[in-house]
Amino acid sequence: MKLAIDGVSKQYAKKFWGLRDLRLELGPGVVGLLGPNGAGKSTLMRILATVTRATEGRVLWNGHDISRSPDTLRAVLGYLPQDFGVYPHLTALEFLEYMAAVKGLDARSARQRIDELLAVVNLAEARDRSLGGFSGGMKQRVGIAQALLNDPEVLIVDEPTAGLDPEERARFRNLLSELSGERIVIFSTHIVSDIEAIATDIAILSGGRLLAHGAPEDLLRAVEGKVWEMVIPSAEMSAAKQKFLVSTSVRRTDGVHVRIVAAESPGTGAVPATPTLEDAYLHCISSQRTSAAT
Amino acid sequence: MSETNNHIRILYHLARADFLERVRRYSFVLTMGISIYLGYAATTGQLEMRVGDSRGVFNSAWIGGLMALVCSTFLSLAGFYVVKNTIERDRLTRVGEILASTPMSKTLYVMGKVLSNFMVLAAMVVILAISGIIMQVWHAEAPRVNLWKLSGPFLLIVLPAMALVAAVAVLFETIPALRGGFGNVLYFFVWSVALATPVIASENNRSSLFDWAGLSVIWSSIGAAAKLPANQFSFSLSVGSRNLAQGGPTFQWNGVQWTAELILARLSWIALALALALLAALLFDRFDPSKERSRRVASASAPALVPAKVAENLSLERTWIHAPPLTRLANRQNHFRFGAILLAELRLMLKGQKWWWYAVAAGFIVACAATPSASARGMLLACAWFWPVLIWSKMGVRETRDQTSQLIFSAPHPIARQLPAVWLAGVGLALLTGSGFGGRLLFTGNWRGLLAWLIGALFIPTLALTLGIWSGSSKLFEIVYTLLWYVGPMHATLQLDFMGSAPGTEVTRVPTFYLACAAAMAAIAILGRKRQLQT
Repeated sequence: MKLAIDGVSKQYAKKFWGLRDLRLELGPGVVGLLGPNGAGKSTLMRILATVTRATEGRVLWNGHDISRSPDTLRAVLGYLPQDFGVYPHLTALEFLEYMAAVKGLDARSARQRIDELLAVVNLAEARDRSLGGFSGGMKQRVGIAQALLNDPEVLIVDEPTAGLDPEERARFRNLLSELSGERIVIFSTHIVSDIEAIATDIAILSGGRLLAHGAPEDLLRAVEGKVWEMVIPSAEMSAAKQKFLVSTSVRRTDGVHVRIVAAESPGTGAVPATPTLEDAYLHCISSQRTSAAT
Repeated sequence: MSETNNHIRILYHLARADFLERVRRYSFVLTMGISIYLGYAATTGQLEMRVGDSRGVFNSAWIGGLMALVCSTFLSLAGFYVVKNTIERDRLTRVGEILASTPMSKTLYVMGKVLSNFMVLAAMVVILAISGIIMQVWHAEAPRVNLWKLSGPFLLIVLPAMALVAAVAVLFETIPALRGGFGNVLYFFVWSVALATPVIASENNRSSLFDWAGLSVIWSSIGAAAKLPANQFSFSLSVGSRNLAQGGPTFQWNGVQWTAELILARLSWIALALALALLAALLFDRFDPSKERSRRVASASAPALVPAKVAENLSLERTWIHAPPLTRLANRQNHFRFGAILLAELRLMLKGQKWWWYAVAAGFIVACAATPSASARGMLLACAWFWPVLIWSKMGVRETRDQTSQLIFSAPHPIARQLPAVWLAGVGLALLTGSGFGGRLLFTGNWRGLLAWLIGALFIPTLALTLGIWSGSSKLFEIVYTLLWYVGPMHATLQLDFMGSAPGTEVTRVPTFYLACAAAMAAIAILGRKRQLQT
């Protein structure tokens, strides 16, 4: 089971590239795709989901080029786009039955699977209600259910936690973690905490290019010894933000507790801290911006 | 005073933004293309105006009058469909919700939209006015261009009519029942009747108060200039390929004598447009989703978005700890069953139809089967196959409209499986709703008639699917089909009898022609879907 992205680029306008020469090889596990808004995450997701074609390069699913034979991947694909709609006059059950038919599931498997999925996404009680009356979070859960209908080998979820409340987000993370064993799960987000606990692999995109790819431990190792904590007066906060890469800041009675990512100690009173994935991500993005500016 | 200035500024920016958003779309280029074609058709004699066998000398007055009539008749129909989406676009893009949260009044918003509609229609009129000048130079019968005589009919006849169309389009958008396909179809009939009323009155030598398009203003003036006896006066504006320069005797017409009374009568249509705009402002829901009918129905049947039991299940412990496990599918191989997807598409197609829709459809089936007269049966088939127009018009559009395209197109074989299922569901609907007529042909052993009827059942959904996929909107099919249906089967026009409903159509080559059309359109639909998949 291998999904290889081989020099993929996507051009939207004459001088605008959404993706540039992306190379990645993905195997079973959860791949967290991180990047700021406009990094090219959704473009990559759409190419992998066979919804959009790459301008250059190719994507190989178990050796098959998906632009030439997209159905080899589509047969085992579950996809939850960032923006999607539902048919407002259908009930949740009817919509999932429709999607099961489109995906080619046989009637018995479909019925059983839909029942399970409605329970998993917590919509069993609302199964017979029209989707037109669903809240954003409930529609998102219907989207998650349809992506899992065919028990996909490749599951692509683009910003899946948008619109979900904290409990639902946690539930969804757990679900993905349970599912990841024998399949490739590609999870795109710009919220680092969403994938911190479940990703076996992380890829960071920015400006359409791949900045880093590896296990979370590798990314954390890159900022080992570069994360500091210190307390500074409120008045100095603005200057600190200008001078250093501030990862987090919390106001307390004794001042502002800041977390700074810097190669050397940012000042007296700064103590080394254990790096988090968020520190590693910010360091990666910041380094790229600095090198692009110089 | 400053408040008035502020209102004018808001109105200007509303109309400007809306106008710019429209003119930067490909559809506007297409609209302009149609205007240029109409101008070209008039210049080259494919569109002509005649009084009996005569025509006027090609001076500025005659050309201004001809072009004004072209605008009043064609643009008042096509233009309505071009501009009737301004509020809908704000609704779809959700810009409307942002606007609704500003202090801007409903009246100001609606007036801005009417103004923007008017600007778009006026841009089309300007293209035709320029074509008029080219036309006069082209024919060179009266080389001196008199700008007032050429532009007068545009200013006093066309622009008030376009103001009315602009306001009616916004009014339709503010009435929930007229916002969608039903409004598109209804406008065609309203337009036909509204245009025909002054024509009928004029034929009976009566003046009509409802001459909003200004037709009688021009032809009563032309009639006087042609000096024809009243019983010989006949006026026609036709689309064809006759050579104007060679056709029949000519006479001199120096244009409408614009009296104060006439000008006031024309300007009163602008006043009516403003009144309709105010009515639209009164009816406008200010993008409040709770006022939408579907929402009302949904909320009436389900009191809360999240029922208590579901909400209870969302509690932290239950969702975290007791979430049921998801078992693996025993067989992950695809077991594609075309019947399943066809049924699913058919259900999707018919979902939401009320009982009375089925009752009327059943009524047509019974009436078609029971009516002894062949002509009457043909008319009934035409009605039976017009009844599902708003269902067919969603074919090929649903995926875009409901934003499910990414879900559907990432499923296996979207062209080989889902697309034929959509098409067959449409054909099934045609066969079912026309079954009274088809059953009768089968019963009487009229095999050629049955074949023509079958071709009709293939042609309609193929047209719907093709136009839906390529236009991305239901509107084009609703307009084209209504027009075809009205001119063809409803008037038993042989060449346009794509249903095979009129007696005798089945023995002609007309059904074969529509079969070829259906095949060509099916290929075009597949190409369109391929294009959607390869973006």
